[in-house]
Amino acid sequence: MSGKAAKRRAASQWAVAWRRFKRNKSALIGTSIVAFFVIVALLSQWIAPYPPRSYEPLYEGVAGTPPSWQHPFGVESSGIDVFSEVIHGTRNDLYVGLTAAFLTMIIGIFVGALGGYFRGIVSDVVLGLTQVFFVIPTLLLILLFARIFFQLVFKGFGLTLIVLILSFFGWSGTAFIVRGETIRVREMDFVQAAKSLGAGSKRLLFRHIVPNILSPVIVITTLNIAGFILTEVIVSFLGFGDANTTTWGLLLDEGFAYVRTDWWVALFPGLAVVFSVLGFNLMGDGLSDALNPRLRE
Amino acid sequence: MERTQFARTELSMLTDSGPLLRVRSLIKHFDVVERGIIGRKKIGEVHAVDNVSFDIARGETLGLVGESGCGKTTTGKVLLFLETPTAGSVNFHGMDVFEVFGKRGRAPDARKLRRGMQMVFQNPYTSLDPRMTVFDILSEPFVIHRNIPKEEWKERVYELLRMVNLEEYHAERYPHEFSGGQRQRIAIARAIAVDPEFIVCDEPVSSLDVSIRAQILNLLSDLQQKKHFSYLYISHDLSSVRQISHRVAVMYLGEIVELAETNSLYDNPLHPYTQALISAVPVPDVKHRTTRVILPGEVPSPMNPPNGCRFHPRCPYATDICKRDPPAFEDRLVKGHFVACHHADKFVR
Amino acid sequence: MAKLLEVTDLHTYFFTEAGVVKAVDGISVSVEDGKTICLVGESGSGKSVTAQSVLRIVPRPGRIVGGTIRFDGEDLLAKSEAEMRKMRGNKMAVVFQDPTTSLNPVYTVRKQLADILLLHKGLSKDQANKTALGLLEKVGISDPEKRLNAYPHELSGGMKQRIAIARALSCEPKLLFADEPTTNLDVTIQAQVLELLKQLQKEYGMTMIMITHDMGIVADMTERVTVLYAGKVMEEADTTTLFTSPKHPYTEALLKAVPSVAETRALEVIPGNIPNLIEPPLGCVFHPRCKYAKDVCMKEQPEWEKVSEGHYAACHRWRELSLQGRS
Repeated sequence: MSGKAAKRRAASQWAVAWRRFKRNKSALIGTSIVAFFVIVALLSQWIAPYPPRSYEPLYEGVAGTPPSWQHPFGVESSGIDVFSEVIHGTRNDLYVGLTAAFLTMIIGIFVGALGGYFRGIVSDVVLGLTQVFFVIPTLLLILLFARIFFQLVFKGFGLTLIVLILSFFGWSGTAFIVRGETIRVREMDFVQAAKSLGAGSKRLLFRHIVPNILSPVIVITTLNIAGFILTEVIVSFLGFGDANTTTWGLLLDEGFAYVRTDWWVALFPGLAVVFSVLGFNLMGDGLSDALNPRLRE
Repeated sequence: MERTQFARTELSMLTDSGPLLRVRSLIKHFDVVERGIIGRKKIGEVHAVDNVSFDIARGETLGLVGESGCGKTTTGKVLLFLETPTAGSVNFHGMDVFEVFGKRGRAPDARKLRRGMQMVFQNPYTSLDPRMTVFDILSEPFVIHRNIPKEEWKERVYELLRMVNLEEYHAERYPHEFSGGQRQRIAIARAIAVDPEFIVCDEPVSSLDVSIRAQILNLLSDLQQKKHFSYLYISHDLSSVRQISHRVAVMYLGEIVELAETNSLYDNPLHPYTQALISAVPVPDVKHRTTRVILPGEVPSPMNPPNGCRFHPRCPYATDICKRDPPAFEDRLVKGHFVACHHADKFVR
Repeated sequence: MAKLLEVTDLHTYFFTEAGVVKAVDGISVSVEDGKTICLVGESGSGKSVTAQSVLRIVPRPGRIVGGTIRFDGEDLLAKSEAEMRKMRGNKMAVVFQDPTTSLNPVYTVRKQLADILLLHKGLSKDQANKTALGLLEKVGISDPEKRLNAYPHELSGGMKQRIAIARALSCEPKLLFADEPTTNLDVTIQAQVLELLKQLQKEYGMTMIMITHDMGIVADMTERVTVLYAGKVMEEADTTTLFTSPKHPYTEALLKAVPSVAETRALEVIPGNIPNLIEPPLGCVFHPRCKYAKDVCMKEQPEWEKVSEGHYAACHRWRELSLQGRS
């Protein structure tokens, strides 16, 4: 490489990836959508006209009315304002999606790295455990656990519980990828070089291996956010969720029966789901392209 | 400033006696396993390194040559305990290397060994952590060994960069911003950061362009002159090995078949495999006419090495005894020139 | 003797995000019918891209942007893709560097050989099979019947390369490109494959262009050499002349930097690095590393000048310098 010091573009792999990401139109669209939802979620308390699960519109006499200026998304027959609820739902669903994805990432990295770095018994046990969690029908078990915890044990524990259940059943995908990547990176020369310098396992794992496997993990975590939102929607839609907490799935459940008459009750939450999932998927795809390890010289 | 020419470090300039490194009966077998639903079953063994012994003196370069699968890279890795040995011993400066590394936990002896024995890897594109700056890479030894106070790190790193003919401003950059030759210099700088005495160089120039190779070979030789490093120079490129090594060992299927002083080995090879190997290399000279010894067949699998002399299936001189008895590795015919062949006396000039 | 291939002032550029990579920047090369020539150069010299350009298989984002290519009297650049496809594998063939990736891992050897024969020669399946068998025997593969049914991963590197050669020769091409055919092979196997190529070239009487960075192979295998550097031609001569009396500083430097297994000699280092092809040096592209460089070398590109019959060099100072070859 020619040239002296002075000005030159930041060259860390993150900086390079960021520049690539910025050039990708669909990634930017996805990120804008996500940003929009995040802002809505953060400001939900102030922009939603009514508190969550409020029947106030009933007393205003507008129950069951289609979209209008005062009630942009219409009102349910029970009096719940759909616009307000979709906003509250945004906050809750995003919370579930982001937190579950984050937890899954942490567990997945931890388990996967250990399983990939060590050989012998540790590796076999981790692999077996991951495989078990990977193949079991998670949706059914999630529904089961949700029913047990929500209806029987922790009435009203709410979203955090759902997050925990989703993470408990969702880490295996990430763990698999992390394990595979760890095995690949473990054998690479620069890890062997650090070992020959005297680095111990802890340093090899956290200073060398993990930073080099983050790329696929980031991508899969972003896509997981969308996946977890969808799972939550299914759980609540089927009636297994917490009936006291507003989520898009709950709204879809409420609006499902009236789809032919009060079509607005299901439509707007549905659109919210579609767009948020789309946004995260586009962002995840963009990240995948940007973080592609094939760095052109 | 780099010299424009180099030649082998003169061995007579070195004062130390007694080997720095003593390798005896080194064995490394890899298990071939089949994985079942639970547990695994061993279905075979790869005899990567089988009974390898040699000494290296202080300031000496021992070349280790052979084709793929002969076990030369594995030998280098086992010396540094990057692969666990199956049997044998390595003695460095009086310390039993395997015993020190075998103990659980990082004894201060292990640290000392890590500082004394280092490695330069073949592929400069994968031997540097792509997420670390050059400064991080070169200061990592200081972090691990805690032998240099933090205030001095910057100066030390700059000094290392100067020693390998790079610039100070290179320290802030990332590996991917450098060419192959420059990366290899960084790798060398990293290896010498701990002030080692012995460095395993595993094909350090094979991935580099021809016009860059001489630069790196020159650098290694320069450093050896200044700091009296001992090198185990592993390569399949017989031409460059000839230039940099004081002695050369030839490996075939996990065994050393010949070991001698460089000119002696190249000008008068006593083992049929060495002869074939040397005659097979194209010579960049229009007047040179070799009678090529073309070996039949392929290199047999190290999983099932042949009986007797491992080379006999491809050897043009093989007789009955070669199929039965593994030949002894000795310097009976020419002092200091070791060879394992029943018929070596035929080739002595 | 008629020239089978004539490449004149070829320019092939790669239009990448980082800039325009001038991989081939004015290369002219020609070869006479039945001869073996060599394109020698390091990475970035443009030797492989030149071969790709002739076959018109330059990968995106690369494109031929200038020059002419005449093969057997025809203008290759004027041909349509369909016409080129009829020529590839048929009139011109390539043996690539890595047989592991140039052979398709999911097809048997038989299928890969027979496919070409069915495609270009319109043979029946039976005839194709027989021909394939014969080809394997010709390239010295033992137990050819068994190998025909094998998959590439079941075979050793040397065997795979022989099969790649068999595949290249299956339609008896007029021109064979061998792009670093032995670089990935072990030394003793390399010797086998080089001998095989020599023998086949004699037998088929085909024209061969050997692409390599190994000066030993150049000395051993070829009659004429073209030395490339950073996308341009530095020198062209017959092999003996190039080695004994080179006229270009790069050639001299290369000969001095290359070790030989036959002697111990001090190697001379070439300082610096291979230049960035997006912004190549002004003037002579080699001047930053040339120990004879003068002012004119930094400003003007040297002309392609005739040194003697069949010997050409692109250097401002070739007349004044007395360069050393290998004696």
